[in-house]
Amino acid sequence: MSGSAHSEHAESKVRYGMVIDLDKCTGCGACSVACQQENNVSFRPDESDKLRTLSWMTLYRLENGAGYPDYRAAMLPRPCMHCDSPHHSPCTFVCPVNATIRDEHTGIVDHVAVRCIGCRYCMVACPYHARSFNWWDPKWPKSMEAMLTPEVSPRMRGVVEKCTFCHHRLNLARDRARLNGEDPDSVVYTPACAEVCPTGAITFGNLKDPNSDVAKLAKDPRAFRLLEKLHTEPKVYYLSSAQWIRRQSDNGL
Amino acid sequence: MSLGRRAFLQFVGGAIGGTLLTPIPWKLADDSAIWTQNWSWRPSPERGEITRVRSVCQLCPGGCGITARLVNGRRAVAVTGNEAHALSGGGVCPMGASSLQYLYAPYRIQQPLKQMGSRGDSKGFKPVSWAEALKEVTAKLTKLRSEGKSHTVACLTGQKRSTMARLWKRFLTAYGSPNFYTMPDAADSMRLAVALTTGRDAEVGFLWDKATYVLNFGAPLLEGWGSPVYLQKVFGRWQTEKPGVPRTVLVHVESRASLTASKAHRWIACNPGTEAALALGIAHVLVRDKLYDAAFVAEKVFGFEDWTDATGAQRKGFRNVVLAKYGVEETAKITGVAPQTIQDLARELAKQKHALVVWGQDKGDKPNSLYHDLAFLALNALLGTLTPSGTVVLVPPDPWGDLPEPVLDTEAYRGAGQTALGRPSTVPRTKAPVNTVLPFLEALASGSEYPVELLFIHEANPAYSLPETALVTQALQKAAMVVSFSSFMDETTQWADIILPNHTALERLDDVIGLPGAPYVYYALASPIVKPLYDTKGTGDVLLNLAAAVGGGVAESHPWKTYEEVLKATVASIAKAGTGLVATAGSFDPASVLPGRPLQPNFKDAADLWNKLKAGACWVDAPAAVESFATPSERYELACQGLMVSISPTAADDLFMPRFHPLKPSGEESEFPLLLVAYASLMLSEGYVPNTPFMNKLLPDDVLRKQDVFVEIHPETARTLGLADKAAAVLKTPRGETPVRVRLTTAVKPGVVAAPQGFGHTAYDEYVQQKGFNANSLVEVQLDPITGLGTLWATRAQLRRA
Amino acid sequence: MGEVKKSASQKGAGIVFFLAGFIGALLVGWVVFPNVLYSTKTQPITFLHSSHQDSNCEDCHYFRDDGSYNGLPKVAKCAECHAEPMGDSPEEKKLVEEYIQQEREIPWLVYAWQPDNVYFSHAAHTQQQGIECVRCHRDVTKETKNPPFKENRLTGYSDKTMKMVECEKCHAEHGASNACHLCHK
Repeated sequence: MSGSAHSEHAESKVRYGMVIDLDKCTGCGACSVACQQENNVSFRPDESDKLRTLSWMTLYRLENGAGYPDYRAAMLPRPCMHCDSPHHSPCTFVCPVNATIRDEHTGIVDHVAVRCIGCRYCMVACPYHARSFNWWDPKWPKSMEAMLTPEVSPRMRGVVEKCTFCHHRLNLARDRARLNGEDPDSVVYTPACAEVCPTGAITFGNLKDPNSDVAKLAKDPRAFRLLEKLHTEPKVYYLSSAQWIRRQSDNGL
Repeated sequence: MSLGRRAFLQFVGGAIGGTLLTPIPWKLADDSAIWTQNWSWRPSPERGEITRVRSVCQLCPGGCGITARLVNGRRAVAVTGNEAHALSGGGVCPMGASSLQYLYAPYRIQQPLKQMGSRGDSKGFKPVSWAEALKEVTAKLTKLRSEGKSHTVACLTGQKRSTMARLWKRFLTAYGSPNFYTMPDAADSMRLAVALTTGRDAEVGFLWDKATYVLNFGAPLLEGWGSPVYLQKVFGRWQTEKPGVPRTVLVHVESRASLTASKAHRWIACNPGTEAALALGIAHVLVRDKLYDAAFVAEKVFGFEDWTDATGAQRKGFRNVVLAKYGVEETAKITGVAPQTIQDLARELAKQKHALVVWGQDKGDKPNSLYHDLAFLALNALLGTLTPSGTVVLVPPDPWGDLPEPVLDTEAYRGAGQTALGRPSTVPRTKAPVNTVLPFLEALASGSEYPVELLFIHEANPAYSLPETALVTQALQKAAMVVSFSSFMDETTQWADIILPNHTALERLDDVIGLPGAPYVYYALASPIVKPLYDTKGTGDVLLNLAAAVGGGVAESHPWKTYEEVLKATVASIAKAGTGLVATAGSFDPASVLPGRPLQPNFKDAADLWNKLKAGACWVDAPAAVESFATPSERYELACQGLMVSISPTAADDLFMPRFHPLKPSGEESEFPLLLVAYASLMLSEGYVPNTPFMNKLLPDDVLRKQDVFVEIHPETARTLGLADKAAAVLKTPRGETPVRVRLTTAVKPGVVAAPQGFGHTAYDEYVQQKGFNANSLVEVQLDPITGLGTLWATRAQLRRA
Repeated sequence: MGEVKKSASQKGAGIVFFLAGFIGALLVGWVVFPNVLYSTKTQPITFLHSSHQDSNCEDCHYFRDDGSYNGLPKVAKCAECHAEPMGDSPEEKKLVEEYIQQEREIPWLVYAWQPDNVYFSHAAHTQQQGIECVRCHRDVTKETKNPPFKENRLTGYSDKTMKMVECEKCHAEHGASNACHLCHK
């Protein structure tokens, strides 16, 4: 069943996906900061309770479990996987109000905060902990409200939020294509995380285009996905040449 | 007809039925859903045209290109990298990406302030006008100068790689004070070592793209050392498969499994602070097995073989010293690295066509022991990396020349004759500048030599970010008057008498000179991305204003009206030099720049260069190849004759040669059985600016949990202390103690405690305050007995259950 | 018999009561409610498109290079012609003195203003599909005065602000995608 992941999806030219090269990733955190800034992710004085914090691009530390001096660590950035499993992604399957739906033309798993009723069923369903809940009203220091971007609407208390693959950038790229007389349905764009990554570890693009970097890298022998045994068919691939990292991909985060 | 109950119900029934046929219920339900989206306390960002401004980041010396996105031309909403920048190419670090949170920080100082209460009282500051504040500072400057006390004025700036540092130095020179200091830097000791061994004033640059094998002694290449984004880019290139080209191998030597150690192809775990011993052990094997670059050593190196000094005394050369003292077994004992590994490393290094030896500590903000810098340089010399075809270059700090000489009047001459406060007499006299910050602060705190009547602090927060914070606070209290130029109400600024707030990095025109660790001569202009938000003034302009007001030679030395004019003068001298080009990504290959091959200019004149730089591009040139040396022997001096002179002409052989020279940490081993090392991370800022809220979100909950910061200890250490994972404990060093929690990890060696830098602020706002402890308040600085520079390697510590 | 009569008359009266409630409710719902729900506001300045016939629509309402639509022009655009009053209309005087000279933006009441979570692509509709502006906006060419701005007291939006159901309906009819992210940000 999992082998033909794309078979049920509408015939479209694009299927956006991401490849994160863990051999290149140094865990600096620029992707996550750029994401927070790009998407008006709110913050609080204490961000150490990771069950309550809002985070779209989360860094996880992986350790090989060996003793000194064989110990090794690696950082794994985790956006929303935009699961491509047939019929539904785990989260879209359970949403009672259609606030989260996968768009079959792009493969992006959408989440509309203003429609969300905050039941958090999707958070339970997501095996990647990619969703966060707004336990509090978002509050910025007064002077910092000036740096909120109008490109993404700030959320409110009581709703869920998650990585959107920066779909506002897709919308803008599509509009640019329309004005330039290009095909808006085959545009490529870059999300904020991939844009700022200093080592070039994050590649984003159209998985359906066999000539795209992202499609080629997704077929790299180093490529793997997280929790593949669940057949959620993530569109986020990871690359690593380290066995101990690849082994952890099925163990949960 | 009376209206009975039944009639009423009938009426209500009709009304309900009727209402259902009107828009009331449906419209209200629909509209109230929208009403819930409009809570007044949820901000709705102003919409408008989005434009981009390019500039260069000034938050660290990294010199990365940045792009700011603005709404309606005045509200900055995002800072990302500049993909057109030749060296950082679109990349950015977490601090650079969150730089708007400094611009819009609630802890900005919004106008000049004067302390009306007692020193150190953060609530005692009252707003004053710029005219009033400047008048007061001018009066003090004029009075001290007329009293012949000009040398009692001192400046400490954190903007080390900028025309600002030159302007400060010039101001103090013309005014008559030798007390100009920059915040400590790895270059402080490295430039001395380079000057002693090569006779040139230069920083060391590394040809990262050419090297096929990098042996790295401790430099956290991926955690903020050098120019962070540039190095991340280099690492990305190393990790990219290129058909037919073998990957560059990174071998990292460090005691702790830092991220750099983990990402390296091989990690050599050594005892804390023993990297230099390992370098000499490897040198021993190279010499013993004749694996070194014999041609280079024979033709270009002095002091390898035994020699005779000016008095006719027989001196031992490096060969015999290293053979006698750094045998494989001895080195293994000191470093904890297996003898076989030491031999293997030496052989592997010698095999390489393009080996590179690099060394460093933290974010490049700590000077090294001079002997250790000499040791790492010596290893490079033995490998022949300093040849024109090698991997190490000498990058002059200002190849296009400094600003014109200042005019020295009598008071300036008198002041120049004074010794810098606290500076030891043993500092070797070389072309390199001497930056004895910690001896200065010690002398100031202890009141020895002479008092400091006026202390300027610029773009620095020494009371937090210098090691031994208690000493700094004492020193600040001893200075008769402290003038801070800080944009933020930080730990240091709280001790100021007058605050003349600078524009933040994103509001001012400024420049970046040099890229630490990179093999280029580099210059970039940082343009303001927004108009200043508050009543602040650029410190460059304020300084020129003060110079004019003081008059005499000071005014004459500063003929410029604005700081912009000073920058234009710098750019004009670059244009006049006639080499180097405005580099942009795509057309510029960082690997193509080779020493001795100056780049052809692609700009017309100074004005053209100025405009291109103002638009966010950078100017890059290749440094000269190292063909000759300007030392007494005209060779690379393994035996540094300059150092011999400054110590004593009769000094023992190994005292002016590379050697492993650990300084004994204070405290008794019985009381403090552990060693504390502090580590740096790109997720934590420990310098002039604190962590941003964005950066706090990155921190794992086993580094910071509520108010508790975790220190790393090995499970074995924990077992002997009876501490479980996450347990509360008390960490004590000879400098102080603090509550901590412990994280059990095999990333650290048994007996070592690793603590993160960048926590424990008491100033700023609720997003920063009261999070753990400041590692700088616990660590111990050891002054290098020769250079007087404050070095840090490990501090004795004890950990006990709380 | 009397009882039956009484019952009949009660029934009739019952219908009267019912109808009274029913009609009353209809009146309240269709006549009173709309007037209560909306407050009428006037524009800060009377702007007549018909007085600007010498300009093209695109002079003020254009696409930016990045693909976005500029919507209403900023006051700087007005200043291109009205740096000094061109005539003697009091409205123009107000524009020059209160906004242009003070460099303040005019707080226009936008009839089609959407919440900040809505993304509307003008390029998709007017450029790609060739839909006329007047399909959604009023025809301004012959307007002699600004229509009143009826602000919904509950939502704060104009009564002309299009609701999502209208978007969805048209998208469905034309086979256009109804993916959330096309219209929400």
